[in-house]
Amino acid sequence: MIRLLAVAFAVVLSAAPVLIMPVPAVAVIALVGLLLATVGVAALWRWPVTAAACVFLADYAASLWVAAGPVNVAGAAGFGLALLFMLESVDLARLVRRAAVEGAVIGSHLGRWSGFGAATLLAAALAVALASALATPMPSAIAPLLAAGSALGVMTTIAVIFTRVASSRRSAGR
Amino acid sequence: MTGRVTPLGFSVLAVAGCALSLAVLSARPELFVAALPLLLALVPLALRAPALDHRIAHEVSRARVLEGESVTVTVTVQARASIALLELLGPLPAGSVVVSGRHRAAMALRAGQTGRWSYEVRFEGRGAHDMGTIAVRVRDRFGIRAWEQRHVDPKPVRVYPHIALLRSLPRPAHARASVGDYVSSVLGEGIEPGDIRQFAPGDRIKQVNWRASLRLGKLYVTQHQRERNADVVLMLDTLAEGGRAPDTTLDWSVRAGASLATAYLARRDRGLIHWVKPGSGRAQYERLADALAWADVVFTYVAKDLAVVPPRVLPPQAVVIAITPLLDPRFTRATLDLAARGFDLVVLVVSPVEVTRRALAPSPTIDLACRLWTLDRRARLAELHRQGVAVLEWSPPEPLELALAGARRPRPRLVAAG
Repeated sequence: MIRLLAVAFAVVLSAAPVLIMPVPAVAVIALVGLLLATVGVAALWRWPVTAAACVFLADYAASLWVAAGPVNVAGAAGFGLALLFMLESVDLARLVRRAAVEGAVIGSHLGRWSGFGAATLLAAALAVALASALATPMPSAIAPLLAAGSALGVMTTIAVIFTRVASSRRSAGR
Repeated sequence: MTGRVTPLGFSVLAVAGCALSLAVLSARPELFVAALPLLLALVPLALRAPALDHRIAHEVSRARVLEGESVTVTVTVQARASIALLELLGPLPAGSVVVSGRHRAAMALRAGQTGRWSYEVRFEGRGAHDMGTIAVRVRDRFGIRAWEQRHVDPKPVRVYPHIALLRSLPRPAHARASVGDYVSSVLGEGIEPGDIRQFAPGDRIKQVNWRASLRLGKLYVTQHQRERNADVVLMLDTLAEGGRAPDTTLDWSVRAGASLATAYLARRDRGLIHWVKPGSGRAQYERLADALAWADVVFTYVAKDLAVVPPRVLPPQAVVIAITPLLDPRFTRATLDLAARGFDLVVLVVSPVEVTRRALAPSPTIDLACRLWTLDRRARLAELHRQGVAVLEWSPPEPLELALAGARRPRPRLVAAG
């Protein structure tokens, strides 16, 4: 059942770019992503699913760039949630394979995902509102640099956190 | 408890990085929004680790079992704080199989809730195992971070070899002074009639043999043979083995050793195996079974033989039962050496042919090789026979009783004097 859920998320992720920009190139990339995701879900391997998520993202970015349509915040948040839940569901399927599972495990995960989805939509709305407020007085020449700097800052922060967690693990191991 | 980022965390980080990079390259805000849930899922990494408070207890239904029997492992987890996901990996020793349930479990527990999980493990082969370690992994709510620990509460389980009931056993040629089940050559109190002699002052009336007295015209009394016990040395060949576990020649040898030990101890004989101190009774059986559970073939560059055994280590006048597949010439030399030293020796040869054949895929070549091997072994057994060693050949899985049926040796009796 969890694998079906992962496949359902993969289908949604492959269909979203095609719906935005229905051209053969986008459909072919979506199919490649779907194939990778199917292999990952069937074999419960993590790397094909991660690769499929990146392919879906590239396909989504390409379709948005080519279509050049209006910004759809809810759709983008839904796409991000589907990416996260696809990764999570494959991980959960790996975890419960050949294990005695209490019924509460799946139920509590689904409940948690629902709450997280609602919270993410709220956070996305707030972030977009904040970004709109900041974008108005900002010169257009600085915006790309600020976006790139922010992205780099976020990734650096996360990398530092990862390093800290890893180093605390090493020290605990000693 | 050791905390670490799970592989899922790295996957989420990779996808989030990809989303942010594409967002900058394509200058589309949707991709920043798409990266948001992935980044939010990573936020717990920056927070302090939650207080993980749970108590694990586990029980194993039996500490001693026979081969082929099973034990039930029951694990109880009591959560004092809420646990998003708890993974447990129960003990599954080598050579055992799960017959019901699973030895891995996943549970989500609320604060104060107790989770219980059990599974049944069957042991195919003998051995001594510790079923006291449970690997525990607690995950956070998004599975990004995990804490691992080992719950250790020693639960030793000893798997004793299967015991076959034996009625006929190799009889010792010499008995000890203690009371037992063997009819000894010494005359005295007993049940078995041994000799007839003329009545002498002090003899009791109930000992008078009336039939002989009437026939010979004088009073004759019946003398009885004393019932005594014996020393039995079981010598196990662990130098080499053939076949596939749990049915190697060593496994069958151990089963034979355990069956013989049980049968001899039931007759109040003293048993000695693998340098276990001699003794008798139930406690001695436990000692012997423990020693047998550990028996294994160990590779070593030290070439030992029985020449290093001091002569007084083996009890004098003991019957030595050597259990061997005769795969290693050192053991053959050792048995011949014991026979030469005057021990009452019986060699129980566990044939490796059938157990090896069962371990291999059937083919005409294998059949031919096994037939040639059988002929070669027959020639070697005949050679042992010629050298005066009592040899019993046992081809597992046929019953041990069949092989021992040929072990009936003439009972020593005193020739009636005068």
